[in-house]
Amino acid sequence: MGVTCVTQVPLAEGKSIQQTVEILTRKLEQLGAEKQGTFYVDCETYHTAGTNVGSTGQSGKLLYIMHCSEYPLSTFALFENGPCLVADQNLDVMMIKLKGFFQNAKANKMETRGTRYQYCDFLVKIGTVTMGQSGRGISVEVDYCPCAVPGDCWNLMVEFMQSFMGSHAPTVPPVFSSKHDALYTPADTMVQYMELLNKIRKHQQGTVTGMRL
Amino acid sequence: MSGGPAVQISIESSAEKQIQEVGLDGSETYVQPLSMSQNLARLAQRIDFGQDSDEEENGERSLPRENDWGDQDEEEGLVKFQPSLWPWDSVRNHLRGTLTEMCVLHDVLTLVKDKRYMHLDPVSQESIAPKQSQHGLLLVSKRKSLFSAAQILLKGGERLSKSVAENQENKRQRDFNSELLRLRQHWKLRKLGDKILGDLSYRSAGSLFPHQGTFEVIKNTDIDLDKKIPEDYCPLDVQIPSDLEGSAYLKVSIQKQSSDIGDLGTVNLFKRPLPKTKPGTPHWQSKLEAAQNVLLCKEIFAQLSREAVQIKSQIPHIVVKNQIISQPFPGLQLSISFCHSTNDKKSQKSSSDKMNPEDHLYVLEHNLHQLIREFHKQTLSNIVMPHPASAPFGHKRMRLAGPQAFDRNEINTMQQSEGLLEKIIKQAKHIFLRSRTARTIDSLASRIEDPQIQAHWSSINDVYESSVKVLITSQGYEQICKSIQLQLNIGVDQIRVVHRDGRVITLSHQEQELQDFLLSQMSQHQVLAVQQLAKVMGWHVLSFSNHVGLGPVESIGNASSITVASPNGDYTVSVRNGPESGSKVMVQFPRCQSKEVPKSDVLQDNKWTHLRGPFKEVQWNKMEGRNFVYKMELLMAALTPC
Repeated sequence: MGVTCVTQVPLAEGKSIQQTVEILTRKLEQLGAEKQGTFYVDCETYHTAGTNVGSTGQSGKLLYIMHCSEYPLSTFALFENGPCLVADQNLDVMMIKLKGFFQNAKANKMETRGTRYQYCDFLVKIGTVTMGQSGRGISVEVDYCPCAVPGDCWNLMVEFMQSFMGSHAPTVPPVFSSKHDALYTPADTMVQYMELLNKIRKHQQGTVTGMRL
Repeated sequence: MSGGPAVQISIESSAEKQIQEVGLDGSETYVQPLSMSQNLARLAQRIDFGQDSDEEENGERSLPRENDWGDQDEEEGLVKFQPSLWPWDSVRNHLRGTLTEMCVLHDVLTLVKDKRYMHLDPVSQESIAPKQSQHGLLLVSKRKSLFSAAQILLKGGERLSKSVAENQENKRQRDFNSELLRLRQHWKLRKLGDKILGDLSYRSAGSLFPHQGTFEVIKNTDIDLDKKIPEDYCPLDVQIPSDLEGSAYLKVSIQKQSSDIGDLGTVNLFKRPLPKTKPGTPHWQSKLEAAQNVLLCKEIFAQLSREAVQIKSQIPHIVVKNQIISQPFPGLQLSISFCHSTNDKKSQKSSSDKMNPEDHLYVLEHNLHQLIREFHKQTLSNIVMPHPASAPFGHKRMRLAGPQAFDRNEINTMQQSEGLLEKIIKQAKHIFLRSRTARTIDSLASRIEDPQIQAHWSSINDVYESSVKVLITSQGYEQICKSIQLQLNIGVDQIRVVHRDGRVITLSHQEQELQDFLLSQMSQHQVLAVQQLAKVMGWHVLSFSNHVGLGPVESIGNASSITVASPNGDYTVSVRNGPESGSKVMVQFPRCQSKEVPKSDVLQDNKWTHLRGPFKEVQWNKMEGRNFVYKMELLMAALTPC
């Protein structure tokens, strides 16, 4: 478990998602990264329902339930800007029981799936973000395994990301700045994914028409 | 009457003598006729004195009458001549009779009263007969009382012996119970019907072996009391299942692979002397322990053979009968055999002579036991309580994997569990590699004398790793030549050599590699020693190389060389030392000293005589000195001007 940075890569000029992913993976393979199976991250959205929502006047907070193949036995439950709960997989069963309080917005289920690469101490996961059936974007996750403090390895990670993403290498994620010297936790990765997926979703809703593969 | 025939009638007295009894043979026993006194006594006995007293009374009363009548008698005497005529004749007769009787009475009374004429004694006629019968009675009564006394004594004795027997029975019962209590302290027991069953399996310790492992507790109290009770008698006995009887062990050995495949799977059984029972432990304890050991060995072997079949390895493991054969290294075979000797005499005799117990690796056998117990513990710790109701069953770390977000690698390391067979093969490899390394070093040390080789084995080892420190020194120069210190870390498949300067060399399991490496290190040592010596002696090192690119090619490693110059620079000594070619020492003389160098026309000037001359080889084997460094010292000393 190391420090992870999740970012979105915009589509290359005149290319589809598939082609952009291919360009990225080719670059990685040229670097010498080894393919190591696949990965997935999924995110389900729950609306808080019930009596207290209307009375307090808050528009219902959204609860995100996420799974990640990197943490196969865990389920993450996150509020936007709120706490992150890490639980085992029984949480999924419990959510069904909590139907009265949290209602599943099935249409909002998002997923990113792709290939997992290992390059020395780095784990790189390039995935296609899908919502429903349509692809919506490309996510890139870079994990530097030997380190647990974000501040110590950020520069190294940026340098590595620049080597295959070029100018699309991200700026410091907000999670990093908040815990510069603290230990990085898996929940931070999931927060980044949640923010990424939310960004893509909002962008889609803004432009109304989805991209076609 | 007279006219009739004369009939003789004999008359005899009915009996002169009374017959006392008639015997069964018809003989008659007569009562002896009474003597006079006896007769008298008998007659006297017949007198009813009670009646007599009445008569006496009458007599007394009639006494005055008598007197009255006395006169009358006298008067009547006058008329006695005409008795029949007398009208009072009957009265007179009566009176007369009465008078006679009165006189007799009077006489008797006087006789009795005066005791002058007669003495009356109590009747003693019957006294003899009662005396005899009294004796008889006494005898009878004595016998009777004795008999009853004897009866009482006998009864008491019977009761005593019964109670003694009962006591013993009780004692044995109590012994049984106390033994049962002791058994209960060590073994799990349960009652099933009228049987007491025990459990000697390791199930409660986490074993998953399906063998029942039950034994039955038998009460052994009905022995023959008359016979002598054997020394090791115990009122409690146990009956163990027949397949757990005898003794068993696992034999682990590493051998050179036999070309003959025919002897695979033969039962290599040799009788191992049974461990002596500790004094004071009951024999059931040792019996049960032996049975439990058999059970554990069975379980280990079953586990090993199951793994041997399941695990895919490059060279498949072979399971034949009671033997598992695996190849840790090429040409080498590790065999684990399950030896179970029942008390059957035949099987012991047939196989005992062939075996040599030396190749049995006790360490590995012990480790197998340890591993299976670890395995037991692991299965047991999976179901450790208390356990959260909502969490899945499994290891505690596994349970925390979800909430603590363990990633894939961590989960993999948790789940990765090596089998018993894999572990034991790894251990066997290590043990083999270690022993072979030791042998290699020892053989080198004994074969090569000049640079001495010392091995310091660390006493604390891991099952998969051990280390040895190898020092190469020259005798007498240990202080100055400490250049070669090697740390050999012996692992499972390879040996990692850590040099003193931090270089790491990895050697494979091949024996030759280590040997060659050590040989090249020894040759380097000589040159390094010369370097050290030069420093001490004040010589100058001109050149030094561990790997010389010139000269004959060595088959092992490279030759090393050094060139040193004497303090004043006149002489130069050059040493080349190769692991195979050995050492070659050359000395360069100053030009002026060498006579062979022809005078050159060009170098006329005197100053050119200071140029270096040609090299000459030293006949090294003719040098004095016990080893290379000593010879070198002598050479340097000889070349150094005083």
